[in-house]
Amino acid sequence: MTGPTPNTSAPAAVLWAVIGLLGIIGLTVVFLTAPGEALLGPGQYAIRGALHGTAAGLFMVTSTIGLFQAYRIFTGTAWNIAELQIGGVINAAMALLTIISGNWIYIPYRAGGGPRSHFLEVGPEIHKVFFEFKEFAALFTFPLAVVAAYLLVRYGSQLHERKGLSTVIAALLVLVFFYFVVTFGLGAAITKLKSV
Amino acid sequence: MRSSPSPRHLTTGPAAAALLAAGLGLLALGASQLFSEAAPAFKDAMQTLGNAWMPGAPGIGPYSGKETVGLLVWLLSWACLHAAWRKREVNLVATGAVMLALLGIATTILWPPVTGWFAHH
Repeated sequence: MTGPTPNTSAPAAVLWAVIGLLGIIGLTVVFLTAPGEALLGPGQYAIRGALHGTAAGLFMVTSTIGLFQAYRIFTGTAWNIAELQIGGVINAAMALLTIISGNWIYIPYRAGGGPRSHFLEVGPEIHKVFFEFKEFAALFTFPLAVVAAYLLVRYGSQLHERKGLSTVIAALLVLVFFYFVVTFGLGAAITKLKSV
Repeated sequence: MRSSPSPRHLTTGPAAAALLAAGLGLLALGASQLFSEAAPAFKDAMQTLGNAWMPGAPGIGPYSGKETVGLLVWLLSWACLHAAWRKREVNLVATGAVMLALLGIATTILWPPVTGWFAHH
């Protein structure tokens, strides 16, 4: 007599359909009942701020996963290549979205009466040192993430036996995380002092 | 019985090209900031360059042109290096070291106190 065997033939599509349905139900309830404007906050640039914050928050997730993948790639314990490739591409896409939304929110930051004017008045070093460094450090994440994704896609099937390449990819993912953390930390601190 | 064919060995040239190009692009970004701080005419040129294609560039300021310089140097150098190295084996350790050095230099010259010191000397 044999015990019950797990049903491995259940299509993953069913699982995704259930997750999707639950998501739709949840979002419908939220949009119909929640005071969205309170979530976005006051000000004419609330949507820009929310978009940039959301993009940065998602990038925090993908770059953190990237850091974990870097460790697994370096130690040779991560060999689901498709998973690494998808993760790498999403990480690069989130870097780009964060930068584009950052450009968009930068316009009201620089505008007269915006946070930049405020900082130059009350504490110039907040803008001249921390913000200016943050705006450039943010740009580092994109090319580094793109190169990591490119190497994962191009050499994915050969990473097992090519330690040099996997080490390079791991290093790139760590660098993406590093520049992200610097940018995110400074951005959060500056936003806390004065938002757009 | 037929064994599955082993994957074709891919040369390291394209990997080295991608790595070095990213470093060059970021160095160009740093250099554009340095020159902008040192020369008002260069800062104006950065604004003009950004205005040429980037939506919202007048509101973003010269930063739009500096982003453009970094992007152009990165992508153009990647295309050139890829064309030159795509069939070659290139030492990844050496290329990676050069890329890290470029990254370090770019980060250092973008640290505003350092940028200011260089721009005014």
